[in-house]
Amino acid sequence: MDFITQSLVIGLTENAPLVLAAIGFALLYKLTGLINVAYSETITLGAYFGMWINTTFDLNFYAVLIPAGLLAGVLSVATYLAIFRPAKRRNVGVLELIIISFGLSIFLRHALQFVFGYPVRFYDVPPPDTIMVLGTGVTSFRLLALASVAVLSGLLYLFIQRSRYGLQVRALANDEDLAQVSGIRPLAVTVLIWFIAGVAGGLAGAFYGVGSNVSALLGWRQFLLILMVALVGGSWGLGGVIVVGVGTSVALAAMQLQFDQSLYAQLVLIVAFVIVIKVRGTRLTERAKV
Amino acid sequence: MTLDWIDAFLISGLFQVAMVIGLGLLLHLQLGLARIANFGVVGFWGLGMYVFGVLYTQVGLPFGEPWLFLACAAAATLVSGAAGLLVGWLISDLDTDGVLVVTLGFATAVQILATTQDDLTGGARGMGGLDFPFDIGKVKDNEFLWLVIMTAVVVAILLYVWRVHRSPYGRLLIAVGGNEPLARSLGKSTFRAKLWLFAVASAGMGLIGAMNGVMARYLDVGQVGVGVTLAAMVGLVLGGTARVWGAVVGVVLTVGLFDIVIQSYLPLPKEWYTQTIPVMREAAFGLTLMLVLLFRPLGILGDMQRDKLMGKIHGR
Repeated sequence: MDFITQSLVIGLTENAPLVLAAIGFALLYKLTGLINVAYSETITLGAYFGMWINTTFDLNFYAVLIPAGLLAGVLSVATYLAIFRPAKRRNVGVLELIIISFGLSIFLRHALQFVFGYPVRFYDVPPPDTIMVLGTGVTSFRLLALASVAVLSGLLYLFIQRSRYGLQVRALANDEDLAQVSGIRPLAVTVLIWFIAGVAGGLAGAFYGVGSNVSALLGWRQFLLILMVALVGGSWGLGGVIVVGVGTSVALAAMQLQFDQSLYAQLVLIVAFVIVIKVRGTRLTERAKV
Repeated sequence: MTLDWIDAFLISGLFQVAMVIGLGLLLHLQLGLARIANFGVVGFWGLGMYVFGVLYTQVGLPFGEPWLFLACAAAATLVSGAAGLLVGWLISDLDTDGVLVVTLGFATAVQILATTQDDLTGGARGMGGLDFPFDIGKVKDNEFLWLVIMTAVVVAILLYVWRVHRSPYGRLLIAVGGNEPLARSLGKSTFRAKLWLFAVASAGMGLIGAMNGVMARYLDVGQVGVGVTLAAMVGLVLGGTARVWGAVVGVVLTVGLFDIVIQSYLPLPKEWYTQTIPVMREAAFGLTLMLVLLFRPLGILGDMQRDKLMGKIHGR
């Protein structure tokens, strides 16, 4: 019983950023049809922006979250306007778009080291309080991450399903021409999607960064799991991403407790996701609206 | 023979260029002909390197050189080929997104196994004890001969790729890349073609990995990074994914520029060599990949000259 409660508590609190990042990635994927490998650098830059604001302006971690998320959102929009929109106009194919995003990811990952330096960086935060949840000690940052994921997931769900802009986003995802005829401005809506996805990725990065450290590989190390959660869970919409993300987080924590080695847990999850993708058998969505 | 005319850095740079050309040529079969983006090149390369290293240093096979090298390299090639067969089966009915997940997943799995199985691989500490299968004198002499042998292997791969372009199998791969359902509807076994493609290309990548292990003589997990896949991909894309010589031209212009011209001949501050140049190299490769696909997607050499080629083959 202890093992199950520990897995639940540790999984939900430590891996909450995974769910947040997967929601942002899935939103972009479902609504624009693009596998954006450079999303991993949106996460990394969220962590770097947060660390830079925190250490330069001496702001506490909670105050840093909003500017870090906003900056990551702006960067996400900038990559769309500078790279992916021109690519769309040039009728670049799905395969080439993925390779372009791979190139962008590599470029950003290394270029940011010229800006922020090569060494691993840390947030300047006081040691967080430890709170006992079901007999397991959890830091206040982890609890905040979990609360943020829960709130943001709910807000995103309501935004996409209930709001007027959400309706426009869904309309654009279903049929761009029809949406345009109905008076929806594709550029404004697409920019909105990229911004929201960037904010989600940036916040996930800040939570990852404060939990351990900030390095150029921070986002890339999480990317494969995020991609797999978004692809497998995304079949059932944002709700599916949240369910698969939470399941993955708990499974990851349970296996870490069992094997005492996080890499084995990742290996088992990679194999499991590949089997799911293979067994599902049907081809995934072959489109790239960007 | 004296090798005063060539320095050790140049030998090492030329070896890198030859090795990446080999990987780029094999990737060309997958990406250029069948339009399957293998993001796990480093996985097959790394698997070959570590299988070779483990067999060479840990198992104690009852052979002397050069048979020990040949036995270990053959085993590394076979294991990588078998892994390619498995990955080929996994991706056979998946689209580009699924291929990305499976190939990236495979590369990550190899990296995880190389890190965690440290009693075999040395893990993060690394694994030493590898050596050349011959001894002709100084280390530099051995390295030069190894460069010549690697070049011969890459020329053999180039000839194989050239033959594939002119064979029914090559035309089937092009059909898979162009319109797979149509090829299938004409009775072609696209499934078998993909399996064979992945098995052969992965086996070749594994052999190149094993040969790199001999040149490096010390394996560590840091070598099994995404940079290997990037180098092969950017070279191929810059030269032209659809052309046989694309990988050769592209890799000379990218890896050759950084690993030979910049590393050996430009008078740069010494402290740049540890971090600045490697980081600059990867950033430049990423930028090149983006810009080429945006502004010249067919690369320097342009599109495949199928009509001309078919005319030659059929005597028209």
